Amino acid sequence: MESKNKREKFQSPLSEVSLKRIIKDVFFKPRVLVVDDEERIQKACQRLLSEEGCEVNVAQNGIQGLKMIEEKHYDIVLLDLMMPGMSGLDVLSDLKSRHPDTVVIIITGYATLEHSIKTMKKGAFDFLPKPFTPQELRVVIAKAIESIRTLQDITTEKSRMRVMINTLREGVLTTDHQKRVALANPACLKMFDCHKRSVIGSLVSDVIDESTVLGMIDRASAQPKEMFSEITEEVCVPMGKGRQDLVIGVRCIPFRDRLNRNLGIVTVFHDITALKKVDQLKSDFVSMVAHEIKSPLNSVLMQLNVVLDGLAGELTDKQQDILSRSSAKIKSLSQLASELLDLSKIESGLINQEREELNLEEMMKEHVKLYRSKADAKSIHLICKPSVKSTFIMGNKINMEEVLSNLISNAIRYTPNGGKIEVWADENCDCAMIHVADTGFGISPDALENIFERFYREKNEKTRYINGTGLGLAIVKSIVDSHHGTIQVDSVVDQGTHFTISLPRTVYKI
Amino acid sequence: MSEKKLILVVDDDPDLVEAVSMKVEAKGYRVAKAYDGVEAMDKIKEEKPAVVILDVMMPRKNGWEVCEEIKNNNELKSIAVVLLTAVADSVKTTSYTHHDGKTTLADDYVPKPIDLDELMEIVGDHCS
Repeated sequence: MESKNKREKFQSPLSEVSLKRIIKDVFFKPRVLVVDDEERIQKACQRLLSEEGCEVNVAQNGIQGLKMIEEKHYDIVLLDLMMPGMSGLDVLSDLKSRHPDTVVIIITGYATLEHSIKTMKKGAFDFLPKPFTPQELRVVIAKAIESIRTLQDITTEKSRMRVMINTLREGVLTTDHQKRVALANPACLKMFDCHKRSVIGSLVSDVIDESTVLGMIDRASAQPKEMFSEITEEVCVPMGKGRQDLVIGVRCIPFRDRLNRNLGIVTVFHDITALKKVDQLKSDFVSMVAHEIKSPLNSVLMQLNVVLDGLAGELTDKQQDILSRSSAKIKSLSQLASELLDLSKIESGLINQEREELNLEEMMKEHVKLYRSKADAKSIHLICKPSVKSTFIMGNKINMEEVLSNLISNAIRYTPNGGKIEVWADENCDCAMIHVADTGFGISPDALENIFERFYREKNEKTRYINGTGLGLAIVKSIVDSHHGTIQVDSVVDQGTHFTISLPRTVYKI
Repeated sequence: MSEKKLILVVDDDPDLVEAVSMKVEAKGYRVAKAYDGVEAMDKIKEEKPAVVILDVMMPRKNGWEVCEEIKNNNELKSIAVVLLTAVADSVKTTSYTHHDGKTTLADDYVPKPIDLDELMEIVGDHCS
């Protein structure tokens, strides 16, 4: 029924099937062999198909046909069933067993259902009942060429993919639902020191003995339908004496079909040894500096407070005032040191973070609720605009919360009393977007270039008294970068600022 | 009036110990001072203070270790321990889980930079 529909669809709009155009689209000149004892049919096919751009040869009977096929490859064979000598069915079996790629179209005078089934089972592609019109022949040939082209596309795509995956420096391992290896690239085998020739089809536990990785694959496979998260861990692989141990960032991603059934797991291994080392040096340094700065600051603060308390003698109002100011300054310096430590911690965490499917709008609603009282205190109208449909991203929950809370709290601080802040999510075909727009002080064009720099804060007569360390947007930027996203800001002084974060919509389903 | 309660102030920064001590004395307590964990333990066993104001990050023996020794010693465990924690350690909690999974409980904590009035209120609670 379905194939009949297809055929009708195929015929009706193009009364003259432009076989020529289809042939022009494929990169080869289709070679067609007509095997038929009727001279009339031979001639007709040859003339028509040559005109359409095919290379056509003719065989009088089955034996001659098979011989010609042995000599050179034919893309399409038009095969008559009733011929003297060898029957069409025998020719078909023989041909298919040796040239499975060749498309065979059966020409027959009595196309019964029984016959059709028999030949289809033996691998025929289609039927052409005699007598046929030139148009019918064109349609059948066009269909055959489409099919050949599709097969070739798949093969090309497959080998292109294979080359790509094999040249990656990241290890890639694909397992099916029975946890058998479907693919393992050389980088993956090298990381786990596997010297087996062929691992395809083996149980993954026979190929890799790193229990953490096996556990991750188990956990990813066990995820229920309604859940979809990437599992991330760091694994240390000892490389034996004299060689440095590897630190590998492992990500396990379930691979599902349209009905959310697990087809298998894709595991990606990223060698982060060098990154971890540099990061360790950096965070050791930052935390050393921050602690060395923080402790003396705290101590100075204590001493100032003791004096302020009058424990070292009575103070004049003037002295009290000056000491209070210096105490406040030192307090904010100490706060800065704390935030610097936090930033360094967040950045280390970004190297290998766990991701899951997140509903942007839900997260936004929660944050708007969280900041409601702060906004109310300044009579700011803070709302989450509803989206047309739910927008999902793959992201790290804690990181994305950090992004939202930074943007919203910034908006509240830099919007004068009675202003308005709108938060919403939307998407286009490649990206999911987070918007935070306020009616605040705005950012001057000169400052716009610098707002994502660490410690940068715009100061003018309006914002001078707003507290902050200038690290919030730097943190936001680092997080967005680690999610392969971009952040954009549009701002008009005294009218407001609009932050847009675009995050790629990673599709893990087929 | 009963004898003044003894408060032990422990921090590796002598300036901080001095500042806190002045405040403690001004509130009418006696003060003992120590500058690292080992010294603190000696003073605790010797003088049996009512409250120990204890820094966490210290050389030789850190605050958690001192706290554990106090709480695991039947003679000492009634001594109140108030920890001074740096905010950057962001875990603002009085319990601490060791590598072996054991948990130590301090009686209270005050984040650094220290709010002296808050500290004295806590010390007062533990002395009454």
